[in-house]
Amino acid sequence: MPRVLLLFARTSYRADAFLLAARRLGVDVTAGSNHRQVLADLAPGSTLSVGVKDVDRSTATIVRFASDYPLAAIVAAEDDFTPLAAAASEALGLTHHPREAVRYARDKALMRKRLSAAGVSSPWFHVASLHDDPVGVASETVFPCVLKPLSLSASRGVIRADAPDEFVRAWYRIRGILEEIDVAGRSEGVAAEILIEAYLPGREVVVEGIVAGGELLTLAILDKPDPMEGPLFEETILVTPSRLPDGVQDDIVSFVRRCAAHLGLSDGPIHAELRVDADQVSLLEIGPRSIGGRCSAILRFDPEAALEELILRHALGMPFHGFVREGGAAGVMMLPIPRGGVLRQVGGLEAALEVPGIEGLEITITPGQTVVPLPEGNRYLGFLFARAETPDQVETALRVAHARMEVEVEPA
Amino acid sequence: MSNTTKAPVEFTDIAKEKVLGFLESDSDTRLAVRIHVASPSPLDPRYDITLIEHHEKSEEDVVFDDPGFEVVMNPESAKILDGARVDWIEALQESGFKVENPNLAPIGSKPLEGRLADRVQQAIDQYVNPGVAQHGGHVTLVEVRDNIVYLQMGGGCQGCGMASVTLSQGIDKILREQVPEITGIQDVTNHSAGDNPYITPEK
Repeated sequence: MPRVLLLFARTSYRADAFLLAARRLGVDVTAGSNHRQVLADLAPGSTLSVGVKDVDRSTATIVRFASDYPLAAIVAAEDDFTPLAAAASEALGLTHHPREAVRYARDKALMRKRLSAAGVSSPWFHVASLHDDPVGVASETVFPCVLKPLSLSASRGVIRADAPDEFVRAWYRIRGILEEIDVAGRSEGVAAEILIEAYLPGREVVVEGIVAGGELLTLAILDKPDPMEGPLFEETILVTPSRLPDGVQDDIVSFVRRCAAHLGLSDGPIHAELRVDADQVSLLEIGPRSIGGRCSAILRFDPEAALEELILRHALGMPFHGFVREGGAAGVMMLPIPRGGVLRQVGGLEAALEVPGIEGLEITITPGQTVVPLPEGNRYLGFLFARAETPDQVETALRVAHARMEVEVEPA
Repeated sequence: MSNTTKAPVEFTDIAKEKVLGFLESDSDTRLAVRIHVASPSPLDPRYDITLIEHHEKSEEDVVFDDPGFEVVMNPESAKILDGARVDWIEALQESGFKVENPNLAPIGSKPLEGRLADRVQQAIDQYVNPGVAQHGGHVTLVEVRDNIVYLQMGGGCQGCGMASVTLSQGIDKILREQVPEITGIQDVTNHSAGDNPYITPEK
């Protein structure tokens, strides 16, 4: 039976979905994580302790492991582990995006440089060190702009500034976030850098796909119906299929295909976030990974398969074409944290679940825990899932159900 | 042609009274009661009890009328319901029929006994719990049924973001090695009720 090494963080939202997918495919699994399993010694081969900071060292660990437990594929469940998955796959000759392509895609500044050099229309951008003088940097910046810390993902630390004073406030706020120990310890070298780029107006969409041998297979286009105009960019609702005209959707897919090709993303999942303003499509980012959080639960395919199963099928060289997204519309709301403090309880859950179209609700923070909203926060309160005939019905169901929920947060 | 048979399902007096009341309130059409096993999972057995018109019976249905009204079941449901009892419960929040079915007794309703359960318990005590205790967790054997082990995770394991990894990559491997007759392991924990998980998911 082939063995797949699944790489995920100890705090992963995705471990369950990937483990389930592997079980459905009947493959052996080794769970690789920066968390040493307490039962590891009693179940040799089933887990592997690897970190993300020293990729070469962790790659050597995986190569040694593979001599005892041959690996057929290495799949990273989330962004932080993609450099290691790429490096170890390269060392073992396994199917994966190349290491360099992963580096280009993950580093927002490198991505911009690479795509600009290839002639892909890109917003203006420049990179500054957080050790620079923000007033000086602001004086050289055109407004409105967006400040993005290079080492964070999922809108964390991303702030829009329309004027120099807002820019300086945003700068210090981001510096505060990056000074947190957990963040600074994640990715050496880039934690103190910040990308400053033009604010791109328009509606935001997500493209989920798998690139195989350089060919993009688009699995879904998802709309973000909430206006993402800043100053913070909290992700809330995702709905698929997209309500954009077919021609615009074709342009989006074509644009993503070009970007992936220019970055060298050739074998593995991709998750692209774009802005569409009239018929102008612009890339915000393209990650060598699949959709985050628990959002993949809305993507079901026919014949019966989950997104994770398709990703594993591709990595293992199993057939994965011929799967199409199930009919109808689906959506997810990443439940926002309304304010900082201690979560006391989330009420109205039953009432939310009774809303027609709502098919699931998962609260991922337990009462008594400290909650921190964006841009500092790094957790979702939970996820609300809906399925209906049309995207409009899905969006309405999510909003009505969310309105029935009461989140009680007390000051810390 | 439906198969009329001796009553495989017993109705309590109050359940009979309720059914007859429903039938009388809709006396214009000849009605029967259909019992259907909507979910045969011992984790969450569910039954549908509905009034149907006579033309809604199918030839394969198992039919009996001992309770004083006609009861209809499809063959699969009849097999699972053999020996079951239908009761009516009145509670503050809700009222309705309740099916007590010895064939689908909810997990945890049977006492832990037998050599297999003893061996699983021993493996949990000897290998699993000392390990998960390092994270303030513990694992309780709920039942072993049809060679499937049903477990509950508590303490730091309940609601832990890595619980599924501990289960599939640790507990599962250990129990299958120690007790090879096991064919499956099911976690029946209500993880959303965990108030002190060892790890909470993050972006």
